[in-house]
Amino acid sequence: MFKHEGKLYRQVNQKFSKEYDLLMGSGLYEQLSKSKTLVAHKEVDLQLAPIPEIAYRVIEPEVVDFISYPYEWCFNQLQDAAVLTLAIARRALEFGMSLKDASAYNIQFQNGRPVFIDTLSFEKYEEGMPWVAYKQFCQHFLAPLALMAKKDIRLAQMMRLHIDGIPLDLASALLPASTKLNFGLATHIHIHAQSQKRYADKEVSQEQVKARMSKTAMVGLLDSLLSTVRGLYVKTIQTEWTDYYQDNNYTKESFEAKRQLVKSYIEKTNPKRVWDLGGNTGEFSRAASDLGIPTVCFDIDPGAVQQNYDLVKKNKEKFMLPLRMDLTNPSPDLGWHNAERESMQARGPVDLVMALALIHHLAISNNVPLVDVADYFADLGEYLIIEFVPKSDSQVKRLLASRLDIFPDYTLEGFRQAFEHHYLLIDETPIDACERTVFLMKRK
Amino acid sequence: MNFLSINEFVQGATQSYLDPGSGSMILQLILGAVLGLGVVVRLFWKNIKNFFTRGKAKFEEDLDPTAVMETVTENASEESLQQKQ
Repeated sequence: MFKHEGKLYRQVNQKFSKEYDLLMGSGLYEQLSKSKTLVAHKEVDLQLAPIPEIAYRVIEPEVVDFISYPYEWCFNQLQDAAVLTLAIARRALEFGMSLKDASAYNIQFQNGRPVFIDTLSFEKYEEGMPWVAYKQFCQHFLAPLALMAKKDIRLAQMMRLHIDGIPLDLASALLPASTKLNFGLATHIHIHAQSQKRYADKEVSQEQVKARMSKTAMVGLLDSLLSTVRGLYVKTIQTEWTDYYQDNNYTKESFEAKRQLVKSYIEKTNPKRVWDLGGNTGEFSRAASDLGIPTVCFDIDPGAVQQNYDLVKKNKEKFMLPLRMDLTNPSPDLGWHNAERESMQARGPVDLVMALALIHHLAISNNVPLVDVADYFADLGEYLIIEFVPKSDSQVKRLLASRLDIFPDYTLEGFRQAFEHHYLLIDETPIDACERTVFLMKRK
Repeated sequence: MNFLSINEFVQGATQSYLDPGSGSMILQLILGAVLGLGVVVRLFWKNIKNFFTRGKAKFEEDLDPTAVMETVTENASEESLQQKQ
């Protein structure tokens, strides 16, 4: 892949001319791109190729608004990505093709739904051959989904450590014994892990496995994986966050007033991209996404992210992307040379950052000095809509209930001074009935 | 900006860059036989049913990506409605 004059392109090499032609000619590309399950592309001038000697085609794929990674997705997002991968693998068979790989990084979210982005992942299906991507599918999708559903939702974060998928022996060791009673998990994870161990040193040549797995067997395998994936389920957990909007200082009127205020600030700044930090279930992010502005809503709580995602699907929203993120430890640069997966920050900056009902969690719960918060936010975006939550607020009182108040500068004036280091304070509006103040700022 | 996996650099012609894993290949041969049998049996019964109900015979498995995603969407709305209660 390469960039030219700000646009993203992909060179298709001579080596893959047959596969590419088969994809385009068989009808598979047409069907998948029409149903928006595979990213569409157009063929462009071959002259653009960076390595022309081996170039066959140069294609320009449709751009994804925001690149996200499996370790940032909630359970349902990862599950939908898994289902889509299997559905595509299954559909490809009908056109005489199979998927070369089943990496979770082949899926991105665009317009509220998962889409397969690796156009060159298709190869000619040779009946008789087993699925070469079976192990990868189990490690990238099935193992993390099973761990999240059967052990602990927080194990999603293991995907950040194991960017090539969770090793099956590790998943097998962590999963509760009861999963051995589930046919799908028993075979595709536990027995699979055993099989890997047993044949680790033994070489299995192509000749040995060729012509041993019929198309029906392949279909059976994909079906089994699909029903195993779909059988996993994470209830939306009742955490301290999911009842957030019921349990605070807002009356209905002040809540609505805040919403209108945020909307007017958004319209004033006219952003092309918005990030809502600590946006919970996206209540206020929607002030932007409902206007057709691509918005990413980050929150630390996987339950809130999942609720948000369920809403996106239910209402068929196109401009909202919910993601899980801990702002005190956000996604870093990962992989070879720390350059395979980009940090959260590197995927910005954006035009507008929103930080409503957030500052007290950072400054008080996490002891981050207000100036440092201002510094960080300024690196993320040009404009900032931020809400100051004073010590008199019931939420802050709760945070300070069991600890020493070591925050002498955590006052409205202290907040203004801290942020004036990095921002011009354009406007501020107190929200009546509670003692919070919403600011609109522009970084210097 | 480089957000692409090193795995993008594909090597051999028909051979995938991926290491499929010997254990994974062997498991598939065994599993595939069992699961493939399941597919055949299910299709057989579907055909019998269709024959008797005189409905339109549906030979294809419902793994049309769009149909699958629609079902997933429906399930999501059911689930979220249940949880609100």
